[in-house]
Amino acid sequence: MAPALSRLAAADDAPMGPGGIPLARPDKPVTLPLWEDPIKSGLEPETDGTFTVFNYSDYIDKALVEEFGKQHKVKIQITTFDSMDQCITRLATKAVRADVTNITPDRLAQAVAGKLIKPVNPDYVPNLKKNVWPSLHSPFYDQESRYTVPYTVYTTGIGWRNDKVKEDIAGLANPWSIFWNSQAYKGYVGVLDDSREALVMAMLYREFYDINTEDPAAINKALDDLKALIPICNPKVNITEYQTLPEGTSWLHHCWSGDLLGGVFSYLPEGTDPSVLSYWAPARGKGPIQNDCWAISASTKKPVLAHLWLDYIIDNTVATDNFLNFNGYQPPMVSITPEKLVAEGRIPENLKTAVMGPDDFGPGALQEMTLTPKGQALWQSAYAKFVSGA
Amino acid sequence: MSEKSGIYPRWLWQAFALPGVVWLILLFLVPFYAVIGVAFGGVDPIFLIPVPAWNPLDWSAEAVIQTLSGFLPGGDYWAVFWRTTLYVAVALALCLLVGYPVAYYISRHARRTKSILLALLVLPFWVSYLMRMLAWVNLFAPSGYVNDFLAWSHILPDPPDWLNGNPVSVVLALVYGYIPYLILPLLAALDRIDKSLLEAARDLGASPARAFLHVTLPLSMTGVLGASVIIALPMFGDYYTPNIISGSPTTSMLGNQIDLFFHGGPQPQIGASLTLVLSLFLAVLMTYYMYSVARSTREVRDE
Repeated sequence: MAPALSRLAAADDAPMGPGGIPLARPDKPVTLPLWEDPIKSGLEPETDGTFTVFNYSDYIDKALVEEFGKQHKVKIQITTFDSMDQCITRLATKAVRADVTNITPDRLAQAVAGKLIKPVNPDYVPNLKKNVWPSLHSPFYDQESRYTVPYTVYTTGIGWRNDKVKEDIAGLANPWSIFWNSQAYKGYVGVLDDSREALVMAMLYREFYDINTEDPAAINKALDDLKALIPICNPKVNITEYQTLPEGTSWLHHCWSGDLLGGVFSYLPEGTDPSVLSYWAPARGKGPIQNDCWAISASTKKPVLAHLWLDYIIDNTVATDNFLNFNGYQPPMVSITPEKLVAEGRIPENLKTAVMGPDDFGPGALQEMTLTPKGQALWQSAYAKFVSGA
Repeated sequence: MSEKSGIYPRWLWQAFALPGVVWLILLFLVPFYAVIGVAFGGVDPIFLIPVPAWNPLDWSAEAVIQTLSGFLPGGDYWAVFWRTTLYVAVALALCLLVGYPVAYYISRHARRTKSILLALLVLPFWVSYLMRMLAWVNLFAPSGYVNDFLAWSHILPDPPDWLNGNPVSVVLALVYGYIPYLILPLLAALDRIDKSLLEAARDLGASPARAFLHVTLPLSMTGVLGASVIIALPMFGDYYTPNIISGSPTTSMLGNQIDLFFHGGPQPQIGASLTLVLSLFLAVLMTYYMYSVARSTREVRDE
């Protein structure tokens, strides 16, 4: 147990989060405490039995997981969750005994404070330094990559149908304003069903960039702006834009870049030109970016193999395959650049904007991160008022 | 019968109720008490998952009071509560309007076809509720079969957007989803009506319409009430129908708010409190139903 908290290092003025771990921000990096030592180097991976991968549904190519199992002579079990809340709850209540799990940076402090994930020995994960963007070798939310390796990166922006939306959204002085001027597209407009993302969109519309604010006035202002959308365009609130945009049942949607690319890869009706879709994301520091990670579950009985999984998932071939042939969510690999993807014909030129680069991450970036419970309650209550249609 | 019952100990007959009682305790009372515990409990400081307060002495009423105040005019839940009530009331009325004649026809007039019609009524249960709702999305899409037909037949040359936050679609979907649950108990109630009472009414000169109004309808009211309760309760808590059919805040129901607070975040007590308030409201309807059943039973016994 815990040599732990003494090893904690972080910006002094950072507000405290779960277990007394400071709340990480891009400009306030946090080194997470070690609640146990990582496994020793040079151990042989475990074989036989079942290796359980706990992740969002449809977020990893089953064939790649099976291939990992075949390589290491273990049976693979993929167990899924619908939300990070469900993931944390099921790990915390031991409803799932996973070997490896998806985790988002904003839930990392919870997972570490609650001892749900194990520290990583970097010796087993050479691909991190070899293949992944240097800006994510020691990310602000997990300095020294003590617990995680990055899995996917994505921006939050606007996706739209060029055959329906006439405005040059990317050319607008304030592209977010399109939602507040979308009377012509009433009924075909969508907002992400996510309490943080929806309210953040309204904040960005007002050029308010403190997206981890806990100021009730700022949150309520964003709520008022969101509610103003209802008479304008009666937006749908969902996270199915990966399907509705390519199929044409929505025309203008608040959108994650990975969903847009995934939609083009998997949901575009046959014969439809991908250039029918466009995507705009704010410049660095002007809009939210996110990344998802993998971590080793504390309940693993195969810690060495779990380390090998972290390395496997950031192997160039595996990561690229998973991105382009399965989920559309970009891994932060040095080998993947928008220019290369376009040149190889993997994505259309007009969707280059949905691909990120290493410079998108760093101290100036905006990332939705953990709030205090009081702050979370403020955001959730405001969002509940919006979706109640009151 | 009374002789035979003397052979066996009295507890044997009472023991038949045991599985039902155990079922009720395990799958209703315990979970319901857990909801109460969550509503009056706290959250884990690290995981923010509910920590139910099992001991009433540990209860904190803060979340419940906050939730109750949201139901006052202008409160957070005022609009969504009345919208839900309106949707359920209209859907229930439509269900009765469509379902009663169907049940009546099968009970009174279907002879050889009765078993086929019954099978047809049960048929929707073979497909999951979710799948049936998803099928509606395809049918009612802007270029779906319904709009194609309406435009082709010139019934509505410019068909509406059924799926774009249209309350009519949500209500119709509720009717479609729940109507089989109304017809079956209603059919059972109509079947139980003694036909000789109808024959007596007709013999005494009542027209078929008067016989229906003065005999069948009053005698089936307990069934109507029971069937209404059976479908109204789940409709009040429904959240996926408006989600799938509309997805717009303007058509969200109370179940969507419960889902939001229970689905994650630091306020599961609000979700549990909303559940309790809804249960209290439904308990009023249920009490009226039980009172009506008791009254009819008493009347029959007194006759």
